[in-house]
Amino acid sequence: MTNESSEEYLEALYRLKERGERTTTTRVARELGVAPSSATLMLKKLARRGYLRRHPYRGVTLTRRGEEVGRGVLRKHRVMERFLSSLGLPPSRAHRKACELEHHIPEEVETAIHRRMEAQKLPQGLPPGSLPLTGLLEGQKGLISSLSGGTSACRRLADMGLTPGTEVEVLKSALFRGPLMLRVRGTTLAVGRGLASKVFVKPVG
Amino acid sequence: MKAKIRVALAGNANVGKSVIFNHFTGLHQHVGNWPGKTVEKAEGTLYFRGRVVDVIDLPGIYSLSTFSLEEKISREYIAGEKPDVVINVVDASSLERNLFFTLQLLELEPKVVVALNQVDVAERKGVRVDPKRLERELGVPVVPTVAVRGRGIHSLLERAVEVAEGRRRIRPHRFSYGREIERRVRSLLPLLEKAGTGYPPRWLALKLLEGDEEVKRLVGRVSPRAVELAGKYSRELEGLYGEKASTLLTSCRYSLAHRIASRSQRIHPRPARTERLDALTTHPLLGYPLLAGLLLSLLLTVFWVGGRVEGVLEGLTEPLVKGTSERLGSLAGEGVVGGLLAGLTIVLPFVLPFYVLLTLLEDSGYLARGAFLMDGLMHRLGVHGKAFIPLLLGYGCNVPACLGCRIMETERERVLSVFLSTLVPCAARTVVILGLVGRFVGMGWALGLYLLDLAAIFLLGRLAFKIMPGEPVGLIMEIPPYRRPHLPTVLRQSWNRTKDFFYVALPFILGGSLVLTALRAGGLLDPLSDLLSPLTVGWLGLPAVAGVTLLFGLLRKELTLIMLTLLLGPDLSLHLTHAQMITFATVTVFYFPCVATLAALVREVGWKRSLYIAAAEVLFALWLGGVMYRLLSLAGV
Repeated sequence: MTNESSEEYLEALYRLKERGERTTTTRVARELGVAPSSATLMLKKLARRGYLRRHPYRGVTLTRRGEEVGRGVLRKHRVMERFLSSLGLPPSRAHRKACELEHHIPEEVETAIHRRMEAQKLPQGLPPGSLPLTGLLEGQKGLISSLSGGTSACRRLADMGLTPGTEVEVLKSALFRGPLMLRVRGTTLAVGRGLASKVFVKPVG
Repeated sequence: MKAKIRVALAGNANVGKSVIFNHFTGLHQHVGNWPGKTVEKAEGTLYFRGRVVDVIDLPGIYSLSTFSLEEKISREYIAGEKPDVVINVVDASSLERNLFFTLQLLELEPKVVVALNQVDVAERKGVRVDPKRLERELGVPVVPTVAVRGRGIHSLLERAVEVAEGRRRIRPHRFSYGREIERRVRSLLPLLEKAGTGYPPRWLALKLLEGDEEVKRLVGRVSPRAVELAGKYSRELEGLYGEKASTLLTSCRYSLAHRIASRSQRIHPRPARTERLDALTTHPLLGYPLLAGLLLSLLLTVFWVGGRVEGVLEGLTEPLVKGTSERLGSLAGEGVVGGLLAGLTIVLPFVLPFYVLLTLLEDSGYLARGAFLMDGLMHRLGVHGKAFIPLLLGYGCNVPACLGCRIMETERERVLSVFLSTLVPCAARTVVILGLVGRFVGMGWALGLYLLDLAAIFLLGRLAFKIMPGEPVGLIMEIPPYRRPHLPTVLRQSWNRTKDFFYVALPFILGGSLVLTALRAGGLLDPLSDLLSPLTVGWLGLPAVAGVTLLFGLLRKELTLIMLTLLLGPDLSLHLTHAQMITFATVTVFYFPCVATLAALVREVGWKRSLYIAAAEVLFALWLGGVMYRLLSLAGV
């Protein structure tokens, strides 16, 4: 097991590696805002535990195990940061809070949040919980909250009755990235996937 | 009393508008269960109690914005031509969506009579509409009808004539869009009243707020101030409601439509009997084999039965051609009579039955499901699922297919799907493939050629998609409920499609036949063959006579085979190797859209694009033919 501070180190090392920077002791110390001497101590400890290898005068490299931990923590950090700012926290606070939370979030919670965030790559100013129409499952209903996209796309969608406040039900979703079949205002419509992703809905039921 | 009354029919697609049109005029007109088909306005005349009534059938549309050509045509017609009365055909079984159109129509301020159609279908769905109540809500006369059975048609016409002649006053309600919007409309009105555009000022104000480009241009010429002010107002409204102004106004209209609909109808929903059929035919996995199987069996049936009928017909008509030739010379005999009859022998056994069967599928509502299933695939070719329907038409004849591409919304989509349509193996090409390759080389090879054609459609389609500038447009279409096809409608429509062939194609075929017969009589064909021989003999490896036959094929593809048989004798295997047959068939399939198709192409996309398409196809056919010949010879076929 790793503790919080060794996770911080491994995360920092992974981030540096990702950016293609050199991972010398001084660079790591600067990245984490700690004194070089304490960095040296910690890196030695991590090397003993098999998370990294030290190379005299060239700094350190992560072992496969170290890399796994580092990548995992960094991913949790990014997911949490995105999640928190979607809840309305200002970016700097979201970053700081994510630094704390990243060590305490179980993996399954992280995946669940991640999946939710992916499902709703949302434009700004939408009610929370909205997702594109393409995110609804077959048989699921939603209330249209907004139309995004170009003028003519919006006009075509609205003209066919997909206006904000209307209830839609996804009846079918065709293969090959095909269209959706919708029930709206008592009639059935086929709507191409591209157009459907411009309609944002709040799931109901 | 006016001598002539002009009536326009307007409404959503697929509500029975064209059925009413047929009842009125008895004229044969396109009708179908395929949203948005009638792009051209069809006209007819009838006599009603001593008056002449001109009826115009406008395209079936859902809105009067100008996204598609059909919407533009309709609104320009209603505002510009000012018909004496507009009959708005409304589907009682989906009142809300239909009333959305009615509200827009009323804004254009024509005299309107509403035909409340398909009340029987609505009742089967458990929807009961009260026409009197609807009449009060809208302020215009409402006549319930069941068009497919001819019910209510007479009173509809009576009412329309009354309104047109002003014997019955109508007072349409002016529906309010709420305080914020109305205030802005009011302050725009003074600027628009003097504009003199022919459109009602209130309509102009609403359209300006929606940011309608067409109206902006129109008004901009006389009152740029109004456009500027309206732009400011729409931004204000957007700030106020957080939606695009056009979305906002559309929402308002829909909620009005919803209110009117729910006040004038009672719903006791009953489950649709076709739900299971619907689930099966749009099934994400089973739907595809079902579609492929249906279409394949349709084609096989038509060509198997058609082949037999064709044989009989040819036997019957041959003496006629010979007789005329002997008496009046070959120009009249083979040129005119032969050309005409050859046209008939392809239309009667193949094209007409194919269209009848396909139209049955269409009218039942199945083809709309096909378009839904094929949308993903069609997008790879740069068009959306609707293009699937004209492509299918192409299997009969490319001419109606090209004309059918009018259902595509934008110019770009139209050009792409027209191009694809000209590559579809039509009945004539199928005759060549089956009669030459299928008969002498083997059915497997014939099928292979068919597959090759599909592959070529895909490849060339993708290429055209990459070359053609502009953004692809997404699919959005209504999926009509399944219904039993209405046989008179189906037959009329199949005839309409076949008629396209006669009107567009036949004059070219006849003219061409005459020219070619004249060339032959003048002994000019052999020099022409010689001229072509470097290509036909040198590159394609065909006998020299092939040049002439390919020239004939410009008129109609199956003439290549007929001419070949005439020149070489009925047993072609004595003169041609298998490789030559396959090459010949390949070139025939691709080398040029026949004159009739070219004429249709020019009509739909203009000269320049047609020539590009024709040139590309000739080059492709020659390239492919040459390569095929070499490959097949190498393989020792």
